[in-house]
Amino acid sequence: MEWANDKSKGGVLAHLERLETQMSRSCKNLEDPPRETAESDIGTKIRKLRCLRDKLRAEVKQRQARIKASTANAELDQTLEISEQEAVGGKEENMKAILQAYRFTGLSGKRTSRGVCVCISTAFEGNLLDSYFVDLVIQKPLRIHHHSVPVFIPLEEISAKYLQTNIQHFLFCLCEYLNAYAGRKYQADQLQRDFAAFLAGPLQRNSLCNLLSFTYKVEPQSRSFPFCARLLYKDLTTTLPTDVTITYQGTDTSSTSWEEQRASHENLFFTKPLHQVFTSFARNGERLDMSLVS
Amino acid sequence: MDETVAEFIKRTILKIPMTEMMTILKAWDFLPENQLQTVNFRQRKESLVQDLVLLCENKRASLRDAALLDIIYTQFHQHQKVWDVFQMSKEPGEDVDLFDMEQFKSSFEKILRRALKNVTVSFRDAEENAVWIRIAWGTQYRKPNQYKPVFVVYYSQTPYVFTSFCHLKSNTPLLSQALTVASNHHKIVKMDLRSRYLDSLKAIVFKQYNQKFETHNSTMPLQENLELDMHMDSRIIHENRIEKERVQRVTQETFGDYPQPRLEFAQYKLETKFKSDFHGGILAERKEPLRCLIKFSSPHLLEALKSLAPAGIADAPLSPLLTCIPNKGMNYFKIRDK
Repeated sequence: MEWANDKSKGGVLAHLERLETQMSRSCKNLEDPPRETAESDIGTKIRKLRCLRDKLRAEVKQRQARIKASTANAELDQTLEISEQEAVGGKEENMKAILQAYRFTGLSGKRTSRGVCVCISTAFEGNLLDSYFVDLVIQKPLRIHHHSVPVFIPLEEISAKYLQTNIQHFLFCLCEYLNAYAGRKYQADQLQRDFAAFLAGPLQRNSLCNLLSFTYKVEPQSRSFPFCARLLYKDLTTTLPTDVTITYQGTDTSSTSWEEQRASHENLFFTKPLHQVFTSFARNGERLDMSLVS
Repeated sequence: MDETVAEFIKRTILKIPMTEMMTILKAWDFLPENQLQTVNFRQRKESLVQDLVLLCENKRASLRDAALLDIIYTQFHQHQKVWDVFQMSKEPGEDVDLFDMEQFKSSFEKILRRALKNVTVSFRDAEENAVWIRIAWGTQYRKPNQYKPVFVVYYSQTPYVFTSFCHLKSNTPLLSQALTVASNHHKIVKMDLRSRYLDSLKAIVFKQYNQKFETHNSTMPLQENLELDMHMDSRIIHENRIEKERVQRVTQETFGDYPQPRLEFAQYKLETKFKSDFHGGILAERKEPLRCLIKFSSPHLLEALKSLAPAGIADAPLSPLLTCIPNKGMNYFKIRDK
């Protein structure tokens, strides 16, 4: 094997040199252009992103500002709403109080799902007494669903007469009966409670308080109970008796003053409520006492 | 003191439970406080009773006192008797009822004694202008039987009278007559209403069982109960919520919100012809009506009926034959073909 010629020798070396320069040239070619483009590319990207970031930041700030402004408005609205509500609520309370106070007129009512619930508040001499209810169903025919009227008040009679034809009259009639009953009951209760010392034994009464029977005295210090009273209230719409019978059952038949007293008592019971009659007895007794002392 | 009276007092006191002994004796007010204090209430009941009977003997207790004790015992144990209700009526357009309790008592007793010499009548005034009457019936030849008395409760100026169930039906007409005449009424009719619970009977006939009224003073409690139940656990879905609410609403409309009066039974006597779609059945050809008796019993019938539809056992609304009981004031019915 002989190397070819010098050309070849020079050829091999030259060939190697040529290859070397080729290689280094191709390397250069490979590296330089990407580095340049990459740099410029990244740069522009960065610049673009920075731009975007700034834009977004600005938008966020704007939106936040807008929200703050609107919440401030909303709060303002809310406080306005609240104070309006308070005003309405205050009015509502006021209305409720007025509706509750209607009771004091003696006849009030409240709408129900079926009709109306009427409340009759009884009173006597400025004292508010028991309330009675009648729950009416508004239908044809008008009917009473349930009620709290005592069984001895003639509710059936009154409703048979007036409920269908004249409901106003029905209510006023019932009011009359209930108020009269409440008044009579009040007098009897007062007598039993405050003037028991003037009575011999318990007060005889009945459910309607329209028949009262008792034995009494007028002088607190006296030991005997010389008078017997029997009060009849034949008119159930009144609080004063229609019949008064006073009998003297004392032993002292000589003095005519007993007859005078008896007659004056009768008159008193006819014209004044029971407890007032006894208050005047008590006062007279005190006057007597005072006269004895002085 | 009469032997029979002593025995009667002894037996009455023996019935009283130890927990109520002092209360009842105080209500009787026959043995004074200081005497009662000398008695040892911790001893055995029999010996206690002997001591008390001895005290009664010393104080010469009469039949009247013994009868009063019997009334008080019964007032404390009303549910031991079964009570019937009678309704009295007046002629229309009559004068105002001026009821005098003393007149009523004397008139009542007089009417009984005129018809029957052997009778014991005792009275005890009660609250709300009512009177409890105890009647021990005898016959023409026999002394009154103190162990089978009849009790009558009457609220003045009302048309209703409550009587304890009496085995001796023969005396009922006399009792009815005495009640009507003494209370200024004309007619008396027995109602189809019976129960052990006197206050429930009173609530029914006086129409006092529903005392809930809407006023401006009270706030109506909304129907929150059902809704609360429904929403308690959100994992549970009530598929039939609408139906449940409907049932609840219908039940509330029929029975109301108030505690029901207490009855133990409702009885329906049927006398109806058998109605059948099948022709030629054994019962279809029957000309006579079928007679049968249906009785609903419960410790508290109306509350039980009220809970039927919400519990899903019956459809709502319930049959009006069941729901009309307090409104009509009846708990035994006769149903015939029209």
